[in-house]
Amino acid sequence: MNLRFIDWIWHVRGSMALSPDLSRDDAFDRLDPVFRQSGTRRERRDDTLVFTKRDQEAQDKMSVFDSGVLRLEQGVAGIVLHYRLISRALLFCFLAPFLFLGIAQLTIAIGNHQKAAAEAAAKAGTAPKKKPEKAVFPLNPIDKALGAPEPEDPKKKKDEDKLPSPTPAYVFAGLFAALYVIGRVLEDRLVRSLFRKRLAGA
Amino acid sequence: MNGTLVGKRLIGTQAPVTVGWENLPRVEGGPVKLFVFTWFQPAMLLGLIAFWFYAPNSIAKASTAIGIGIGFKALLLALEWVNPRFDSWRLTWKEAVTDLFYVGLGYTVLRLVDDYIGSDAVADYIQQGLHWDKLNWFMTLPLLLQAFIISFVFDFGQYWMHRGMHNWQPLWLTHAPHHYITQLNINKGAVGNPVELFLIGLGIGGFFDFLPRAALLAGTFGLAVGTYQHINVRFNSPRWWRFLFNTTEHHSVHHSQDYEASRSNYSGTWIIIDRLFGTCVDGEAELLGMEGGRPMSIRETMSYPFTEGWKSIRERFARPIAGEPVAVPAE
Repeated sequence: MNLRFIDWIWHVRGSMALSPDLSRDDAFDRLDPVFRQSGTRRERRDDTLVFTKRDQEAQDKMSVFDSGVLRLEQGVAGIVLHYRLISRALLFCFLAPFLFLGIAQLTIAIGNHQKAAAEAAAKAGTAPKKKPEKAVFPLNPIDKALGAPEPEDPKKKKDEDKLPSPTPAYVFAGLFAALYVIGRVLEDRLVRSLFRKRLAGA
Repeated sequence: MNGTLVGKRLIGTQAPVTVGWENLPRVEGGPVKLFVFTWFQPAMLLGLIAFWFYAPNSIAKASTAIGIGIGFKALLLALEWVNPRFDSWRLTWKEAVTDLFYVGLGYTVLRLVDDYIGSDAVADYIQQGLHWDKLNWFMTLPLLLQAFIISFVFDFGQYWMHRGMHNWQPLWLTHAPHHYITQLNINKGAVGNPVELFLIGLGIGGFFDFLPRAALLAGTFGLAVGTYQHINVRFNSPRWWRFLFNTTEHHSVHHSQDYEASRSNYSGTWIIIDRLFGTCVDGEAELLGMEGGRPMSIRETMSYPFTEGWKSIRERFARPIAGEPVAVPAE
């Protein structure tokens, strides 16, 4: 299977033209501080810079990326920087919704199992005894004076269906899907802006 | 580093820790900003207590508490952008995703597990085994007193569980991953191995079923006080607040890279428990984490207690191989 069709999920690619007065060495020298971070190893060979990151710090501006290649190529109008950056964090975030959808299915399956077990126990007459009814306690006079509502009569309260709910898992699946879209766009833009600023000498 | 003597302990010999309220930076800005970041915490606590005290029965439910909890944390996330304590603790996309993953586990998988072997199961067991009339006296106390007792007793248990985690290797192995966080943000409290989160969560459910309004009021202390343990916001907390309650300052000391400092401020809500037992250090630290601030991946966080536990067992029970030199402690 050719991963090129799907590797955009965790690969960030881009290119930008260099200022005409910037040499290849100058360009890499300006980008160098970006890779002078704890846990980062970099290697420069001619027109190419390869880096890997391990245990990158949270505030490392490229902490979301684990490895990558930056290449300077001669274009029609001058030198162009091409980069391809690999992020396990993006892949993880892309897969997280599937994990939570799986958890939702597991929750439903456990709920069904509990329901079936309870029904079977009821048929067989081995259902667990009902909990003792709770007494109603009047409000303390201090609370009454302060205007707190009277407590609800527990007898009026309907037996709640205590089956586990898959809703939180669905919510988190949605949150991670949204976060993936945000991260894929945001990190792409942030790294582009970081390279542009460094190359401009900022 | 010389460190600062606090009681009999030298704090800050391995990593910088600022000791003493008078040495900490204050919120800077105009009168509105100063007013907001001085009174935000007491006002929210008071507002939430008033809400749960007066809310009609149809609203005073656990589901409302969950909704309020989510909304409150979203508000605090916004405050992290407005007035961060340290720029080195800024929330990045990667940090936000990682933190949310642990929060997600807490809301889903851990809840399922809790149904069977955790606090919910314990609560059921207690409810079936306990004679309710023994608790009648408690139910007739004023609501706020009930809430205080629930909150304080739970935090007292959590204090000793947490202190135990820092003093007994098997428990420490479950808690250690949480200490690899290198910055404090709203959802960092959820970061850690699920076994630890399960242990810390034990006992919460026990109260929830039989004292709804008092339990919701007690939960408010956790939300409107305990949440500030992990937050990147600078507040000018009033003196009485930081005397009674745990604060970001206290918890940053607990997460410091300095070993001695990390053995302080164990309580979740009531720092006065630490004061009672001599483990409170009033101060602040910016450099957090373990092993000089090495971040821990999700994979390692999940496996750490088991891999390190296995290593410890092997070291303890390993027999020396014939011919291999045996290490002898230095004189």
